[in-house]
Amino acid sequence: MSVKTADTIENMNEPRLRINWKTQRTAYLFLLPALVLFALICWYPIFKTILFSFQEVSLQGVRGWVGFENYKRMLGNPVFYTVWRNTLNYVLLSIAMGSMVPIVLALMINEMRRLSSFFQTLVYLPVLIPVVVALIVWRQIYAPEGGILNGLLGIFGIEPQLWLQNPALAKPAIVVIMTWLGAGGTVLIYLSGLREIPPELYEAAELDGFSVLKRIWLITLPHLSARIKIMLVLQIIFVSQVFTEPFILTAGGPANSTRSPVLEIYDTAFNQNNFGIASAWSVSMLVILAAFSILYVFMQKKHQEV
Amino acid sequence: MAVPNRGIMSNAEWRSPKGRFIGFMYLLVLAIAAIFVLFPFLFSFTAGFKTSLEVYRPGFHLLPEKWNWQNYVDAWQRFKMVRMFINTAIAAGGGVLAQIIVSTMAAYSLARLRPIGKNVIRAVILITMAVPGIAYLVPRYMIMTNLPFLNISFVNSFWGLWIPYACSSFMILVLTNAFEQIPKPFFELAQVDGASDVRMFFMVALPLTSSLILVLGLLAFIGLWGDFLWPYLILRNSELQTVSVRLYTLTRTFPINLYLAGSFIAMLPPTIAAFFLCSRIKGGLTI
Repeated sequence: MSVKTADTIENMNEPRLRINWKTQRTAYLFLLPALVLFALICWYPIFKTILFSFQEVSLQGVRGWVGFENYKRMLGNPVFYTVWRNTLNYVLLSIAMGSMVPIVLALMINEMRRLSSFFQTLVYLPVLIPVVVALIVWRQIYAPEGGILNGLLGIFGIEPQLWLQNPALAKPAIVVIMTWLGAGGTVLIYLSGLREIPPELYEAAELDGFSVLKRIWLITLPHLSARIKIMLVLQIIFVSQVFTEPFILTAGGPANSTRSPVLEIYDTAFNQNNFGIASAWSVSMLVILAAFSILYVFMQKKHQEV
Repeated sequence: MAVPNRGIMSNAEWRSPKGRFIGFMYLLVLAIAAIFVLFPFLFSFTAGFKTSLEVYRPGFHLLPEKWNWQNYVDAWQRFKMVRMFINTAIAAGGGVLAQIIVSTMAAYSLARLRPIGKNVIRAVILITMAVPGIAYLVPRYMIMTNLPFLNISFVNSFWGLWIPYACSSFMILVLTNAFEQIPKPFFELAQVDGASDVRMFFMVALPLTSSLILVLGLLAFIGLWGDFLWPYLILRNSELQTVSVRLYTLTRTFPINLYLAGSFIAMLPPTIAAFFLCSRIKGGLTI
């Protein structure tokens, strides 16, 4: 990391000064708001979550230690396995349906000689819309009564479907919305990568008689690969935390087929008022997601550009 | 050699019959994507003019039989949409402001003032970024409803949003890097003039990174504008609720044509902003 090297160079050039307490006081005064807030909002709650997962807790307060009882009850609940299977399905579906879309769009938008910035703005637009507002509209697009999607497919003679009420269709239907919501942001990141590719490379490839597809395969995609890998890890992290979509569209149904870990945490904590089990859930999620997050941090450090 | 102005295809190729065909295919795909992106906007816009009965009628009718402008007037007035937008602006604006103040100060200290234990603090902030906020939602909620030692509840208070919004490990780390990259002579010159560390923060560090701070603030604002779960837990009073929370609550009690009209109105400000701010956002993601 560039920071580390800057540090060592500084240390080499300057002899170690005696600690200047006046500067130290200023330094810590500047850090104080951040330290207090992070302690209150992040570090203390993280510590509490781990503690709660071994206690019986409700909104009214802690009732005592229960050892691994919360974890036992969580693992004994068949919903645990359903929820993590759902998460795996969400992730795989979103990679299958959504991860190629931004690459293709970015490539095409970058190639357009005119209208390029128009399409770029358009694709980014859903990112700016509050998720809940978009979901309210999408819910009616998918609705069994007067849903416009069924109406549209009816023109082509396709039977009306219960998009969000059929366990086989609900997850793909939600992933389509996730793609609608999220692709634009990723497109911008790929576009910034595409603009860094020196045009001379394409010039040389063209002179050597490489076709457009070959140029994409041999020049464009390798240049994007670092970004693609990072975005893939980020996608896994984001999709695993899906909450608003199932909360608003399906409430986890039908038959728990769209229930996600966060939705389960929310229901356990705020509807069943069992913060202990909710915390056990949180810890299991924290362990799994932290692994991916650490992977992300390492990859990002390796390729500083994103 | 002059840098050729070209994409994957050169301009000459682009004009050849094959290039034209490829270009046409690109345009076709992008047009389909554009329709897909815009469809929910179009749908809610026209459904907002229909009667409830008409919205529920099966079949593909995008346009209403009669354009009931009154629906939009009703939604605007009965949902108190002005209040909604003001609340969201207060929540997101205050959050971004708090985030910028806290982050610039911390970053300046980490980058320039060399506090003892700087690397430890930095590492801990970095690790926080790796822990998903959702995992410690429950204790955080309990803290905000009953602050330790002080016994203050932040339910139904914007402070309950601003305080968590103020913490952004991402912004602190990006700004620390930015402050470190300011060339030393800027600070040395100020020091010769007798400027204190505090003065250099305001006169050197902030002005030189102002465009980056603006972009970071803008991205944060976009994120906070659409935030749902946390405001939903904290703001129980309908007079204080943000766009997302209020519209979600309204869908339970109001007819569908009205809340679709309301949804369309709620989508307008970001849409208008998008076309104004596009270039800035574009620059911001390449930090």
